[in-house]
Amino acid sequence: MGENMSEKFHKELRELKENLMKMANLSKEMLHKSVKALKEQDVELAEWVLSNKSHVAEWDAKIEEDAFLLITLHQPMAKDMRTLACALKMITYLARIGRYGKDIAAIVKELADKPHIAKLVSIPQMEQMVCSMIDDALKAYEEWDIKYIENFKERDDEVDALRYSIFRECLTYMMEDQKNITRCINYIIIARYLERCADHACKMAEKIHYMITGEHIDIDDKIPSK
Amino acid sequence: MGENFVVETNNLNLWYDDNHALIDINMKIKRNNVTALIGPSGCGKSTLIRCFNRMNDVIDGCKVKGEVIFNGKNIYGSSADPVGIRKKIGMVFQKPNPFPKSIFENIAYGPKVAGVREKKKLNEIVEKSIKDAALWDEVKDRLSESAMGLSGGQQQRLCIARALAIEPEVILMDEPCSALDPIATGKIEDLINELEKKYTVIIVTHNMQQAARVSDFTGFMYLGKLIEFGETQQIFESPNEELTERYITGRFG
Repeated sequence: MGENMSEKFHKELRELKENLMKMANLSKEMLHKSVKALKEQDVELAEWVLSNKSHVAEWDAKIEEDAFLLITLHQPMAKDMRTLACALKMITYLARIGRYGKDIAAIVKELADKPHIAKLVSIPQMEQMVCSMIDDALKAYEEWDIKYIENFKERDDEVDALRYSIFRECLTYMMEDQKNITRCINYIIIARYLERCADHACKMAEKIHYMITGEHIDIDDKIPSK
Repeated sequence: MGENFVVETNNLNLWYDDNHALIDINMKIKRNNVTALIGPSGCGKSTLIRCFNRMNDVIDGCKVKGEVIFNGKNIYGSSADPVGIRKKIGMVFQKPNPFPKSIFENIAYGPKVAGVREKKKLNEIVEKSIKDAALWDEVKDRLSESAMGLSGGQQQRLCIARALAIEPEVILMDEPCSALDPIATGKIEDLINELEKKYTVIIVTHNMQQAARVSDFTGFMYLGKLIEFGETQQIFESPNEELTERYITGRFG
């Protein structure tokens, strides 16, 4: 005889977590590479991002289906239930992050013909901050440790502040020269996408916090200290 | 003792000869709630539930230490009356065990023994008990037929009606659905939800999903100890004890 039902369930749950990490890495790569493509005006790299849109959607559908099947067959409890509940929410946030990468990649071609204004303002810096939040959320998920997400409120505030500073800066360039308007409006839109990605990282952190501790938190309010 | 608690145990210990089957059990059962006891086979949950109406008295070599307080009195005290206690704390077992008599007589038996003679009064009790057990519509036209002709699920509800006929405060159920199919099980679970309005229900079950569905409080037992006791949602969503976590996620037992 092979493994028992419980072993089979836990093996499949581990596989689901591994698949979720694969999806997460793809979504994060899409976001990261879209900004890289924008910065280096690399149309080919932008094409790579665009071509992965359907892969993220496929992971989303597959993981959701696998999670529903595990719930139906095994009625998980406690830690196992929280792990699946968290996964079901995370795939939605991850799919959105990947899609924002795709949305940014779609703008790259349009902005590839002329040099960027002010070296793309603070967008690359903002992208670094957002991707590091996504990274830390995933580390917390993988290592079952909330220490990585404890300062998310402050980090999210910083991202918001940066978005506003990009907006103000772009206003100035647009007032200086009307020819800057198209480019600057695109910068503002991209900054908005990145800000939304940071929000999704926060939502993931909330669900991961619930998965690990069983306690619901609201990052807009505060993360209670340990 | 606060009046919200109907049964309370204080350092309850029980031995079957040399086997220490219950170890320092302390728990408080809230009135008009459903409390479930879960745990692997042999953990002591049936033994514990049987302490609540002194059903262990009849087992040779069984010795009890500590207190079980029911409505402010220790039911293991020297002045306690086991028969009187069992009137107030009724019990339903794993396999339905109707008497080989008519449906009516099954229900009327308890009240008759308790001294009710008047036919009208007996009719009232029978109708009310069977209605409370959600069985009335299915049997009202054949009360004089044998209870043995009912289906398993109907027999089990008849046994619940029989327990209700003597107006208990607490109903103990030891695996009441383990011999029933899913539909009959669903009916018993619906009934348990109804019963808690008037009675306090304590249920032993192997089925964790059932405990999660029907109970307000859950106790997890292991090797004779009450490992964790708390609100059902908390126990199944995020238990405090590692042992509970491992049991309900199927990592042992």
